[in-house]
Amino acid sequence: MNSASANLVADAPALRAVGLVKRYGSHVALKGVNLTIAPGSVHILFGENGAGKSTLISMLAGANVPSEGHIETGGHRGAFASVAEARAHGVRAVFQEFSLVPHLTVAENISLGDEPLAGFGLLAKTLAYTRAQRLITELGFDIDAAARIEDLARGKQQMVEICKAVAQAPRVLILDEPTASLSEHDAQALFALMNRLKAAGTAIIYITHRMHEIPLVGDMVTVLRDGQQIATVPTSTPESELVALMTGRTVSNIYPEPRSEPPGPLRLRLEHLYTADGTVMDASLQLRAGEIVGIAGLVGCGKSELGQACYGLRRISRGTFEFDDQPRRFGHPADAIAAGVWYSPPDRKRDGLAMMRPASENMTLSALLFGADRGKRLRPKGEAATVARLCEQVDFSLARSVESVSNFSGGNQQKVLLAKGLAQEVGVYIFDEPTVGVDVGARQSIYQYLARLSNSGAAILLISSDLPELMGMSHRMLVMRNGRMVAEFAREAFDEQQILEYFFE
Amino acid sequence: MNTSVQTVPASSSPAPTISPWTQSSSRWIERNRQKLVLPFLVVISVLIFASSAPGFLSLENITNIARQSVYLMVVALAQMMVLIGGGLDLSVGSVVALSSVVGATVMAWCMQTWPDSPGLAMAAGTVAGLTCGAIVGVFNGIGSAVMRIPSFMVTLGMSSVVLGVTLLVSGGVPVYGLPAEFGEIFGFGRVAGIPVPVLIAILMIVLVYLLMEWTRYGRHLYAVGGNQRAAELSGIRTKRVSIIVFMLSGMLAALTGLLLTARLDTGESTIGATLPLESIAACVIAGVALTGGMGRTLPVVVGTLLIVLVQNGMNLMQVGAYAQTMVVGGILIVSMGLSRH
Repeated sequence: MNSASANLVADAPALRAVGLVKRYGSHVALKGVNLTIAPGSVHILFGENGAGKSTLISMLAGANVPSEGHIETGGHRGAFASVAEARAHGVRAVFQEFSLVPHLTVAENISLGDEPLAGFGLLAKTLAYTRAQRLITELGFDIDAAARIEDLARGKQQMVEICKAVAQAPRVLILDEPTASLSEHDAQALFALMNRLKAAGTAIIYITHRMHEIPLVGDMVTVLRDGQQIATVPTSTPESELVALMTGRTVSNIYPEPRSEPPGPLRLRLEHLYTADGTVMDASLQLRAGEIVGIAGLVGCGKSELGQACYGLRRISRGTFEFDDQPRRFGHPADAIAAGVWYSPPDRKRDGLAMMRPASENMTLSALLFGADRGKRLRPKGEAATVARLCEQVDFSLARSVESVSNFSGGNQQKVLLAKGLAQEVGVYIFDEPTVGVDVGARQSIYQYLARLSNSGAAILLISSDLPELMGMSHRMLVMRNGRMVAEFAREAFDEQQILEYFFE
Repeated sequence: MNTSVQTVPASSSPAPTISPWTQSSSRWIERNRQKLVLPFLVVISVLIFASSAPGFLSLENITNIARQSVYLMVVALAQMMVLIGGGLDLSVGSVVALSSVVGATVMAWCMQTWPDSPGLAMAAGTVAGLTCGAIVGVFNGIGSAVMRIPSFMVTLGMSSVVLGVTLLVSGGVPVYGLPAEFGEIFGFGRVAGIPVPVLIAILMIVLVYLLMEWTRYGRHLYAVGGNQRAAELSGIRTKRVSIIVFMLSGMLAALTGLLLTARLDTGESTIGATLPLESIAACVIAGVALTGGMGRTLPVVVGTLLIVLVQNGMNLMQVGAYAQTMVVGGILIVSMGLSRH
């Protein structure tokens, strides 16, 4: 890590951004941000979706050219014209959109553009593999360098992306919500890696929506709101103060009170359930009307797969699956919705929304088959009424509902996804990571939405990798590990440490 | 204190909607580039041909353009539906030839057996032709939706299979012996001065428009092309939707084959070869996304007219057929280049 340590001696900031402004037409996305980041420090960017974090880091990483202001790093002064130029000056970014080639292996991706050659211009494949595997092991991750990217879970792909970025010992490393798709275990490995990089003098810019990570990994935190730099404060600043800075209002508890009435009739009962592909083994679960049952566990523990099995997306090979006391097997999501089960997928772009279609069309898609306006012919008036109702229910702009989903921020896209679930009469909801990649403001309105659903008598299965969220929202919590249910906790007995212990063997 | 209350509302920042005239016009053009390409090309070609091709704007020639565009129009509508559903149908040309040969063969056989009932022969031939198109379409649909072969590969392979069948059935020679009424009505007939093929094309435009914009099936097709996985999770039986769209495409191509047969008065195994490219060109000029999920019926109609209009104009200017082929390919590439963001 030569460039980084050389910089440490010079005692200059690793990176300085001066008066960065970004305009899109007459819209100002970023209104003059100043950042100074010392070598060997972690600087956190904090703000709601649309606050300008992404715009800021895309300019620091060379993916976007500022309208005003400049960036200083090392001997460079001015804006970066391209990602390549930023990299040449030691600035590397890991965005949420990955830059991996899915059909290539981990090793091939890590060495991409810098492949070791064996002579005659041929690739030294073994060398590339051993180098990559050594790098991965050094960084403390657990990935097979020979695996294809497309076969890896999103969290593992994220780690490969980080390996790629760190391989060249950057002076400045930008991480955009890296833990959003990482398991607890991998997140710990990442934090350990960040500490080592810090010690070696790398400056890290870190974006997160998880409050508890801020004092854990960061030194300074810059809060952005509406493109404006609100404050730069030490990470020891109390959470409530940070949220107040971010939202411009005080938030004391983002979780609504759970429904206090006793749960209603049994809606869903699983007994010793196995999926055909072996991702879920011997799962038992009971879900009652008005109840929120959380399912916790590491990424890949089978919690997502369990939700999918309940929705006809994975074949159940053995066990009891009862819906309203009737044994059922759903062969297709259509069967599940018709019976009254809704599943909201974790990856809204891949599985949830048709991004180029209008938000309104996305909202009513399943309603045409199962909702009040069902029928072979479209009924524009009825459909418009449904869209108006859904926009009201999830707090989405009705005026903008004709725009395509890709125009919206992550939080608003998530609201569209949630609205789809309300478009038809359904009694059982399965939410798989409903708040992934959304800011605290949108998160809060999603929690309100879950609480309202539960109060209205819906049975909710909440699958999440965010333990505080599960503890805040659920009446009961089940922990899964390696495809099996290993523990159940009642709300009174929720204890973060105790629950986490069940995550690992 | 419970959840979020108090002071300073965080002003959410909606992207300001900017009316076109408050910005510089170049920026407005930049934003609406995709939509502007087609009118731009139409205006340019009309201006060029009106000034240099004799009789281009005469009523007779305009009727001519309408009649000539029928065949490409129906196939382009088929192609549009498949493209919107996230696929690509390269077998439309072969299906045109197949339905022409099969339809003509059945009609000729019926005429031989029952010479006094041309109506029966026409009905039997039409049903046979359309059925062939539907069957090919269902195979295409199963190949791409169930077996998950990329649709361009399935339909390309199927195109070769179908062409082989066509040549086998016809022996490579034109099929004669059609009822005279078939050509008289569906090839050259007029109702209220409008050619019957044009009326049929208009009917198809209306039906496809209604299907795409006003039915649940159309909405499902957009959704499947937009994000197949999301559509599946919304309870749509996406395989069924895909198979049906390929079937409809096959049937529309078969209809085109029958209309061409009526015009030529023979069943031909050599027709339709240029239709796959031309139909894709008509759709792409009209802004139909090759990635699926986007596209409207009326622009495709205009896109088709543009291609036929250019060919017609070049005919009037006595540009050779070989050069015309080059121009159609060129239009496709240039229009894609212009509309790319």
